[in-house]
Parts: sequence; structure tokens; C-alpha cells
Amino acid sequence: MGIQRDRVKFNVGGRIFETTSTTLANAGRNSMFGAMFDGDWNFQSETENSGGTGTEYFIDRNPDCFSVLLDLLRTQELHLPPNIPEKLLYREASFYGLLDHVRSAKWGQFNGNRLRLSRSVAGQAPGDGTAIRAGPDGGCCVAHGSMVHVYDWMLEEHPPISLDFQRVNDVGWVDSENVVISVCERLGRGNGGMGLFSSSSGELRHRFQVNHDNQIKSFTAGALSFSQDYKIFSSCRGRSNEYGIGVWDQVSGKQVDFFYEPPGWSLGDADKLQWLNGNNCLLVATLFPRKDNCYISLVDFRERKMVWNWSDISAAITVDEKRVRDAIAMEESNSVCVVNEFEDLGFIDLRVNGGSVRWSSRSRLMKGKMPDEPCYPKLALHEGQLFSSMNDCISVFCAPDWVLTSRLRRSYGGSICDFSIGGDRLFALHSEENVFDIWETPPPPII
Amino acid sequence: MSNQKKRNFQIEAFKHRVVVDPKYAEKTWKILEHAIHEIYNHNASGLSFEELYRNAYNMVLHKFGEKLYSGLVTTMTSHLRDISKLIEAAQGGLFLEELNKKWNDHNKALQMIRDILMYMDRTYIPSTQKTPVHELGLNLWRDNIVHSPKIQTRLLTTLLDLMQRERSGEVINRGLMRNIIKMLMDLGPSVYQEDFEKHFLEVSAEFYRGESQKFIECCDCGDYLKKAERRLNEEVERVTHYLDTKSEVKITSVVEKEMIANHMLRLVHMDNSGLVNMFLDDKYEDLKRMYNLFRRVPNGLSTIREVMTSHLRETGKQLVTDPEKLKDPVEFVQRLLDEKDKYDGIISSSFINDKTFQNALNSSFEYFINLNQRSPEFISLFVDEKLRKGLKGVSEEDVEIILDKVMMLFRYLQEKDVFEKYYKQHLAKRLLSGKTVSDDAERSLIVKLKTECGYQFTSKLEGMFTDMKTSQDTMQGFYASHPELGSGPTLTVQVLTTGSWPTQPSVPCNLPAEMSALCEKFRSYYLGTHTGRRLSWQTNMGTADIRASFGKGQKHELNVSTYQMCVLMLFNNADRLCYKEIEQATEIPAPDLKRCLQSLACVKGKNVLRKEPMSKDIAEDDAFFVNDKFASKFYKVKIGTVVAQKESEPEKQETRQRVEEDRKPQIEAAIVRIMKSRKTLDHNNIIAEVTKQLQSRFLANPTEIKKRIESLIERDFLERDTTDRKLYRYLA
Repeated sequence: MGIQRDRVKFNVGGRIFETTSTTLANAGRNSMFGAMFDGDWNFQSETENSGGTGTEYFIDRNPDCFSVLLDLLRTQELHLPPNIPEKLLYREASFYGLLDHVRSAKWGQFNGNRLRLSRSVAGQAPGDGTAIRAGPDGGCCVAHGSMVHVYDWMLEEHPPISLDFQRVNDVGWVDSENVVISVCERLGRGNGGMGLFSSSSGELRHRFQVNHDNQIKSFTAGALSFSQDYKIFSSCRGRSNEYGIGVWDQVSGKQVDFFYEPPGWSLGDADKLQWLNGNNCLLVATLFPRKDNCYISLVDFRERKMVWNWSDISAAITVDEKRVRDAIAMEESNSVCVVNEFEDLGFIDLRVNGGSVRWSSRSRLMKGKMPDEPCYPKLALHEGQLFSSMNDCISVFCAPDWVLTSRLRRSYGGSICDFSIGGDRLFALHSEENVFDIWETPPPPII
Repeated sequence: MSNQKKRNFQIEAFKHRVVVDPKYAEKTWKILEHAIHEIYNHNASGLSFEELYRNAYNMVLHKFGEKLYSGLVTTMTSHLRDISKLIEAAQGGLFLEELNKKWNDHNKALQMIRDILMYMDRTYIPSTQKTPVHELGLNLWRDNIVHSPKIQTRLLTTLLDLMQRERSGEVINRGLMRNIIKMLMDLGPSVYQEDFEKHFLEVSAEFYRGESQKFIECCDCGDYLKKAERRLNEEVERVTHYLDTKSEVKITSVVEKEMIANHMLRLVHMDNSGLVNMFLDDKYEDLKRMYNLFRRVPNGLSTIREVMTSHLRETGKQLVTDPEKLKDPVEFVQRLLDEKDKYDGIISSSFINDKTFQNALNSSFEYFINLNQRSPEFISLFVDEKLRKGLKGVSEEDVEIILDKVMMLFRYLQEKDVFEKYYKQHLAKRLLSGKTVSDDAERSLIVKLKTECGYQFTSKLEGMFTDMKTSQDTMQGFYASHPELGSGPTLTVQVLTTGSWPTQPSVPCNLPAEMSALCEKFRSYYLGTHTGRRLSWQTNMGTADIRASFGKGQKHELNVSTYQMCVLMLFNNADRLCYKEIEQATEIPAPDLKRCLQSLACVKGKNVLRKEPMSKDIAEDDAFFVNDKFASKFYKVKIGTVVAQKESEPEKQETRQRVEEDRKPQIEAAIVRIMKSRKTLDHNNIIAEVTKQLQSRFLANPTEIKKRIESLIERDFLERDTTDRKLYRYLA
């Protein structure tokens, strides 16, 4: 065997490390190591030998963290000794440009049946939580009253966001740098509505406006949804007849459409919007108790009409408990899944108009066991797994028959008022204590 | 106590961050600034990457990102200004090389600067939405070098000048061109388009405007097209070598517009070499080139097509109306076929079988073939000629080819019913005289006509074939039941169904006694086997074989028509007969008799009769003798009847009249069919629908349709609406 030619020697803060340029190549071009080497991962001649003695390359950084990060480059795994604070490691990783490597090694690919509680974060906001939304890269934002607190994936808190200090109705991530919040109209003063904020600095970048008959009108923005073709949807309530769904372009920020609510139906009050990519439609759901009845419809903006709708307005309510409290469309199975306050799941066929709810027989007898301060159940869908929150736990169901496979529970903090999945993490917001939990899938086993 | 020494509280601001050195930021920036200078001065080997990276990191960490960023902009700008001066100072041809060299240097420096400032690029710039370092470097280069007033125009003129030189045949440094153009592209599509492409296209347009003007003055059309094609290829090649691929469409459209679109009409109509000449001189290559070039410009192909159509119509019109060329129908049709073959060839080899051209060809043929009313007759005569003798010794495939071509011409005919009329006549003659070369060919053509025009069109023609077959059987039956007739003259009768055959009611002539007896026997036999039928003799259509001995004892078998037989038989009992006597004895209609005598007495080599006085024409006081001196080297002599192959003028009139007569019931039937389904319809629509329905057979004349409508109203099939006179109602 000859001498290995690609050996590299570092002196980091006084400690000698030896590695190979092959290992360093794992850091990628956009890292400090990428800048130190040329296109073929040979040391760039101009910088060679200049930082240290002999063939050593000196770096004035913390050697303990360097050792962790070097192992990360070697094995793609992150093992943090107890004596190193996480924050220090993140700081060092940021210096070398390895933050993304750390993040992807920290937790594994999302699987609802392998989730472990990773952390709980307590905040100081007054009042009940409204919503929690997972960001695309593992961060999240939490809405309480009129404030939205933004956390990055390291769970560092960034400056909070608020729009005229009005009550926040919904929050959404446009991308990892931008969030949109929708708030109530400030009566009589024409503010409120919707704003786009920088997630890192919290500054307001754009305020969305609604035009009715070429006049800018103030409005209350409700639920939000985003489509892959860069549109933002929101349920809007203006004066008497200005109810409906507003549509904006993400790039220009301009309003591109407004779908007025037809008489006898509800769109502007909607609790939930969901963009259906396969059908090119928007699911709009207004649920009890915001209205006395539930209205679920699919709106096709190209044809400018509601292409599917369901309501319990005509159904005689004999069994009081079967009121729909949340709904989610499942495009693979062409159905809408609904849940009532006892966590019974029901399904409505999307292929026929005016069908009825097929309640799943797997209902649990919950009567009499309700906690003092119940929260309405919520639904989420992630790659063939259906999640449903009830009281202080989240149930996981698997396709195609939606069998209950896991239950996530943590007894601190009271009922779960909202939860969200994104960036391979699940965030659950509790209603009693101001705390939210982060559930992650551990990295895959070694063998 | 309380008024004792008051304690003085002094509230100091809490020191949030302990800055080690107030001049820290300034000092750090100096180090980095120095490094940037060194990098631009090619002196980077003494720099420590780690130190610089760490310093830049620290500046961002300590919230001096803004200072770092603005410092970078200032430093880089000042360096680029210096570089700009150096480039400006470059002499003549070295200008581009200097620019290219500095551009490469700048790119290298930019890469190094970005490496050092990577931390800022990654954290500070996204959160403040500033331009990343690499893009910033390009923008500064654009603003300070490419857009500097002294360089901008010089760069453009240099580039355009080089390209102009290349167009005039000089060899230029294409690698350098490629690098410079690449630079403009790297600076963003708008720089390439605004600073270069726009002007390039303008200058090119001007150049080609001038060049095309020059060429068109001195070249013929073919040469011009060759030059245009070469220029087009050159431009495409230029794009692949050193321009943005997106420019290809733009520059080719400039060349197309200047060299082709602007001169299209002039090229097409160029004297002695334009499109018509290409057609005449069979210049397939030039035609192909013209097609390919004209295809690229709007209205190009339609221009070619229009010229082709008008040329075809004109030559076709000459072809079908030139009385000289109408003398021989076979030649006439052959010429049409040759013309069609030629243009089919041009369309397939030069116009890539363009459907629109095929349609234009078809419509032109349809136009001029129908200019001549005799076209249907001639086409039928052509078929007749081919089926009579033309197809002898020709293979089956070739027969099919010829028949297909005939069918193609047939398709162009508007008056298909006239063709049918003639075809029936000609077919009848062929069948009755047994002159058909190939039964298969006959049937094949009928099948083709059937697929083209439907069952109705050919049912009568097929009936004719059936009649021929049954007649054979009848004759066999006749002779089987009359065995005593074996020795006498043989009679062959063809029983023709009335209606299927183009028979004219004619007065039967007086047959010789032997024959009329035989005919009587056949009549009684036939009517005995088929009750309820009527037989009438068509003596004008028969033939006869007779044996004759002449003066010196020489014997010949004469093949003659029935009329001729009747005349010749008279000479068994007389030596001299005058015209009147013959006419009385035979009762042959005068025109037929004259023709018959003419063929017996006036045709050289076949004159079995002698006439006094000797003249070409038959007069009423001529006298006829057996020509004892008749001699022929053949034993069998066929004496043809002098028949005009083409129809004579009165015959033509007659046929036309019969055709018109036949059309009447067809038009009426069409009107009734349409009205039955529509119940009410206005005048214009009914004309349109009738014309459409009858199109496959003939082009109905509107006045004739109107007459038919009136006749139907008289007969209570239709009525006019009482309020709207233009509206017709169907009366069930």
C-alpha cells in the first residue's frame, strides 16, 4: 500500500486532527472546507501552508466541537458529548457552514409510528394558544392571542410578530424565510387583514389587501392555505356581502381573485382551507361551533364554481355527538375525513356530490370522561398516516383502512389545542400551560 | 437622618456587550480590504485563508455585516474602475483580448473573495435580502466595465465589425468572440439582449437588405436562392459557434425577412428563371430549395401555390381548348396524364408531398378538365382505345396503373353522368363486336367506378356483361333445339335488355331472305322459352362474315357489318345496282347506307365494290359494281365501316340532349328526397343541397333545378308558401 495522498492535517485551537480530503468533501462546496479546496478537492495552492507550521492547517476554533463535526462528516451521524452545549455546537457548525449537516443528522425521516418526544418548549404568552405551524426546515411558529412567536429548527426564538396587535386567526409558512399571518380587522380603523413577515427578523415585508369594486377594503382574514403554483388563499370577512375566499400571488403580493360566498353557504367564515394539488381545487370547511351547521366544499377557481359540497344543514340531528369538528381531504382515497368531538372518524366520498358521512365503527366511548377544558379534535395527514388530536394525546392511523397504530401522549400542559407536521417534526401546542412539544423520529439504527 | 447626606444615585447604562477594542471593526476591515487588494494584484499566495474567513465571520457575528458589505462594494468598485481604465487604454485589436483577460482575472478574484466572505454570504445576506457576493461582483463588472461609456460602444462596434468581416469571408478569432459573448450572457440575459443582440440584429438586417438588393439585380432566381440558403446556414453556424442559442430564431428570421420575404414576388416572377421556368425546365433542386426557404416566411408557400395554380390552369386551359390538340382524343388524355405525372413528381420530390400543394394540383386539374365539355367523352375514348388494343401484351400491374390514372382523371370530372353515357356506348361497341382485350381489365374498371360512384352508377354496365353471358347460353339452347340448321348460315344473336344498353330505336333494314328466315326461327324459339317479351332487331349493330369469290376465282372471307352484308348480298343477283335501288331493297337509313357504301367502295385495298363515277363521296345517282379486280394478300378481309371515332357535331348535340334529359329525373328525385326530410326549405338552400347531393355525378344547373321545382309544383309534390314566396313546402 502506498502513502495516502489526500491526507489533511488540521490544528484546531491547539489540537491536531488528521483527516482526508474525501471526508471533507462531504461538507460540500458551500462550506468553509469547500472554499479551502479547489474543484477537485485539492488544497488551493495560495492558501496552503500559510496558516500553520509544516503541513498543518491552523483553525482558531473550539477543538471539541470540531471533533464532533468531523465525526459528523465521517459518519453522517451526530453524537454530542454531554459536556458540549447544543448551542455551542450550532455556533461552530454555523462557522464552518455545516448547520444543514447537523440538522439532517439530528433527527430522522418522519414516521408517525416511531416518534419520540424530543423537547418541550415553554413560552410566556398570555392566554390560550391559537395555532402552531411547523416550518419547512424544522422550525415552527406559535400564535397566542395577537402575537406569533417564531422558533427556528434549533428552537432559538426570533423576534415575535404581530400585525397591528390584532387577534391572530391563522399562521402559515410561505418558505423557511417568510411567514404569513391572518388577523382580525381593527374595527373602524381599517387595519388588520394579512401580512407577510420575515421569520428571522420579524419585520413586516408586505401587507395583503382586498379590493371590492376597485376599492381597497379592510377585512378579517381567517384560515390560510398555500398552493404549489405560488398562490395564497384566505377566508375573508368584510362588510355584509364581502365574504368569501381571497387569492393572492406569492411573488407579487397582489390580489388575483376573490370568490364570493354564495347565498345560503359559508366560505368567509371558514375554519380550514386546504389546497388539493391533484384536483386543482381548494377545500373550504366551516365547522361547528363557528356556525350552527357544517359546510364543506371544493372550490375550483379556474371554473369559478364550487365543484363539490357537503353540509349537515338538512340532516336531522338525532345523535347530538356526531357534529363535525375538523375535516381534511385525502386525495389518494378521494374522500374527506372528518372527526367529531368524541374522536370518531368519518369519511365522505369526494366523487359524488351530496353524499353522507360514513362514520367509522371504531369509535370509543368517551362520554363522561371528558376533561374540564376540552379541546376540539384536529386532523392532519402525512404520507399515508392520519393524525388526530384529542384531549392530551394524538392518535396515529395508517392507510388504507385507517387502523389506529400509535398514540402520542404527554401529560403535562393539559389538552392539545393544535398540532402541525412539517420539516420531519411534529409540534403539539397545549392549551393549559403555555408549552409546546416537539416529536421527532430518531435517526435510523446503525445496522 | 433623612436630610443627611443624600446618596447620589447615578444610573449607568448597562454595558450590553464588552467590545474589546472600539476600533475592532475598522481594524478587521482593513485586513480584509488589504486581502482584496492583494487578490486583485495577483498576490494572494501570502494570505491566510483561515484568518480572513475568521475575520469576516467575526465582523458578521459582531453585527458589522453592513460595514463589511458596503466595504466590499466600495473596494471592488474602485478596483473595477482601475481595470476599466486599463481596458480603455488597450490599442485596437488588443481591446477584446484585454477585456477577456481582465474578465477572467475578475472571475478568479471574485471566487476567492466569495470564499473568504462565505459566512456573510450564508447568513447576513439572506436575512437582509442583499445581493449575494458572486452576483454582486457580476453586477459591478456590468456597471463599471461593460456599461462604462468608453467601453460600451467600443465593445459593440468591435464585435459587430468582427462579425461583418467574417460575413465577408475573413477568418476571425472565434474563441475570443465566444468568450466575450459568454461574458455578456453571464452578466444576465438582459445585458446580452440589450447591449449586443438588439444591435446585432439591426446591423444584420441592414446588411442583408443591401446584399439581397445586390443579388437580386444580378442573379437569376436559382442562384439567388442558393446564396440565401448559404447565408442562412452561415448564420445558424455562427450561433452554434459563439452566440446564445436563443438568438438562432431571431437572426434566422431577420435573414428570412430580408432575403426572402421582402423579395418573394420578385423571385417568383423573375424573367426566365422564376417559378414558372423552374416548372417548365424541370429544375427539381431549385424548386426544392425554393420550397424549403419560402416555407420559413409567412405567406411563402401560398405564394408558390398561387403561382403554380395559375400556371397549371393556364397551361391546362391551352391543352384542353387548343383545337389542334383535340384531334386525337387518346393523345389528348395522354397529355393530361403526362402533365399530372410531372406535377405529382414535383410535389413528391421537391415539395415533400405537401398536402396543400396536392390539393392545389387537384383543384387546378378539376378546373381545366371541365373547361372542355368533351373531356368525359375523350376519357372514355381513351379507355376504349386502351381496352381495345392498347393493353395487348401489357402486364396486369401496368393495366391497373393505367386504369388508376384514368380513374384519377375521372374524379376531376364534374359531369360524371356524361362519362357514363359515353362509356356505356363504347363498352357496348366493344362487347358486341367482341373487341375487348381483357375481360378482367373491363371488370376491374367497373369495380373502380363502383367504389368511386356507388352501385347505382355501374348497375347498368354490369347488366351489359350479364346479357352477354345469357346470350351465349341462349344461342347454345337455340342450336340444340334446331339440329337441322347445322348446314345453313350461322346466326348469333345477342339479346340485350332495353335500358341497359345505349340502343337507339332504329328501323330494322330488310335482311336477305336466308337471314330473315333464320331470324324468324330464333324469334319463335326465344319467345317460346321466355313469355311476355318483345324482340326487336338492332340491325345497325350487327356484324357478318361472308364468303365471296371474285372475277379471277380468288376467294376471300369478308368481315362486314350487317348493313354491308345486306348490300353485298344484293350483288348475288345483280352486276350493277344504282344507289336508289340499293336503298329501296335494303331500307337502310340514308346516312348509314352512305357510310356503308363508302367503306365498301372507296377505301383503298378493301374496295370490294366499284363505283361510277369514281369519287370519294357517295351521291344519290352513283352506280355500283362488284369489283372483279379486288385483290388482297389476306384470306380474311375486314371491311371497317367508315365511322367517325369521335362523335360528329349533331351526334354530340344528341348525346348532350339525352344527358340533359336523363338528369331531369335525377334532379327531381333529389329535390323530393330533400324536401321529404326537411318539409319546408327556401329556394337558395334547396339549390345548394341539390347541387351538393348530385355533385358526385354532375354539376346541376340552377336554372334547371328551378325548372324541376316548378314542374314538381305543377304535379303537386311541392307548394309555395302562401306568405313567403321563396319558401317551398313538401306535400306528402
